[in-house]
Amino acid sequence: MDFDFDYLLAQWPALLDGVLMTLRVSLLAIAASLVIGVLGGAARVMKIPLLAQFVALYVELIRNTPILVQLFFIFYGLPAIGMELSLFWSGVLCLSLWAGAYQVENVRGGLATVEYGMREASMALSLKPIHYFALVALPIAFRTSLPAMLNTAISLLKNSSYLQAIGLAELTFVAVDRIATDFRAIEMFSAICVIYLALVAVLAALTGRLSAHLQRPFQH
Amino acid sequence: MNILIENWGFVSKGLWMTLRLALVVLLFTTLISSVFGVLATLRNRVLRTLIHAYVELFRSIPLIVNVFFIFFGAPMLGLDLSPFAAVTTGLTLWGSANGIEIVRGGLESVPRHQWKSAWTLGLRPWQIYLHVIAPQSMRAILPAYTGLLTMLVQATSLGALVGVSEFLKVGQIIIERATVMTGVSPAFTVYGGVLLVYFVICSSLSWLSRYLERRLGRPAMRTKNQGVS
Repeated sequence: MDFDFDYLLAQWPALLDGVLMTLRVSLLAIAASLVIGVLGGAARVMKIPLLAQFVALYVELIRNTPILVQLFFIFYGLPAIGMELSLFWSGVLCLSLWAGAYQVENVRGGLATVEYGMREASMALSLKPIHYFALVALPIAFRTSLPAMLNTAISLLKNSSYLQAIGLAELTFVAVDRIATDFRAIEMFSAICVIYLALVAVLAALTGRLSAHLQRPFQH
Repeated sequence: MNILIENWGFVSKGLWMTLRLALVVLLFTTLISSVFGVLATLRNRVLRTLIHAYVELFRSIPLIVNVFFIFFGAPMLGLDLSPFAAVTTGLTLWGSANGIEIVRGGLESVPRHQWKSAWTLGLRPWQIYLHVIAPQSMRAILPAYTGLLTMLVQATSLGALVGVSEFLKVGQIIIERATVMTGVSPAFTVYGGVLLVYFVICSSLSWLSRYLERRLGRPAMRTKNQGVS
C-alpha cells in the first residue's frame, strides 16, 4: 500500500469540477431552505389555520424519513406522476426540502424567544402584524437561531454527497467514478475528506464572522 | 403501497435486514459511546483531545463518504469486508462520534457537588459513577440517545448503495422487476410506501424521545410517586 500524491495532483481538475458542482447545489439549496424556513416558521408561529398544520406535517415527514429515500422519491417517483425534473434540480429540490424542515424548526425556536412585550410595543406603535414580523421579530429571532441555522447549512453541504446516488457529478460522485477505473480508493477518499472538512470549516468561519457582527448591539 | 403488500415476503426480509443493521450498529455504538464518553470526562488532557478529535472528524465527514471509504478502501488495505460489515462499521464510527458527545454532555450535566458529596461519604470512584452520576445523567442522555437511534435507523438506508439487501434496496429491486415485466415504473407508489414505513418507525422513536424528555425532565416526579405508594 503506497500513498500516491502524484495521482491526486493529476486528478485535481476533476475534483475541482466536483467541488464546484457541490458548491452550486449546496448554495442554491441553502438559500431555498432559508426561504422555506422563514415562511414555514412564520406560518407556525402565527398559527395560520391549515397552513400551520401542513407545515408541521411536512417537518415531521422530512425529519422522520431517510434523506436517501426522499431523494429517490423525488428523482424516480415524481416523473411517474408527470413531474419531470432534471438531475440538478432534483438534487436542489431534495436538499432544499430536507434542510427547509430543519430551518422551520430553527426559525420557530428563534421566534419563540422574542418576548411578548415586543409584540405589544409594536401594536402600540400601530405596526401591522406583517411589519411586526418582518421588522421586529424576525431580526431578533435571526440572531438567536443563527448557530442552529449554520448547523443545518453545514449538514446540507455534507448531505449533498447523497446526490452521488442519483448520478449528479458532485464531489463524491467524481471520487467514486475515478475509483471505479483507477482503484485508488485510499487516495481519493482521503482527498475528498480533506476537501469536505475544508468546505465545512470555511462555511463555519464565514457564519462565525456574521454572528460576531450581529452580536454587537446597537450599531449605527 | 399495493405492490409492497403483494411482495410482502420479500419486503419483510428487507425490513428484517434493516432491523439487524440498526441493532448491530446500536449495540456497538452503545458500547463505544459509554466507554469513551466516560473517558472524555476524565481530567487526562491527551485522552480528551484525542476523543474530541475523533468526534469532530467523524461528525464533519459526510456519512456516505465514511461508508464508501470503508467499503472501497478496506480491500486496498487487504481487508475483506462484506457489505454488511462495511455498513455497520461506517455507521458505528459515525454513531459513536455522536453517542460519545451525548454521554459526555449527560455526565457533565450532573452538578459537581454530587461528586464531592459522594466522595465525602466515602464512596469509591466506580461506585460514584455507578450509583450517583450515571443514574442522574440518564435524564439528559436517554432522550438524546433515542434521537440518535432515529438517525441510525434512517442511516441504515445507506446499505442500499453498497449492496446490502435492506428495506430500500428491496424497494429498488421490486421497482426494477415490475418495470421489466409491465413496462411501467411503479417508483412513485413503492418509494412512497417506503417513505411511509420509515416514517411510522422513526416518528414512533421520535415520540418516545419526546416522551422521555418530558418524563425525565421533571425531577419532582419520583418523590411524588414514592409518596403515593
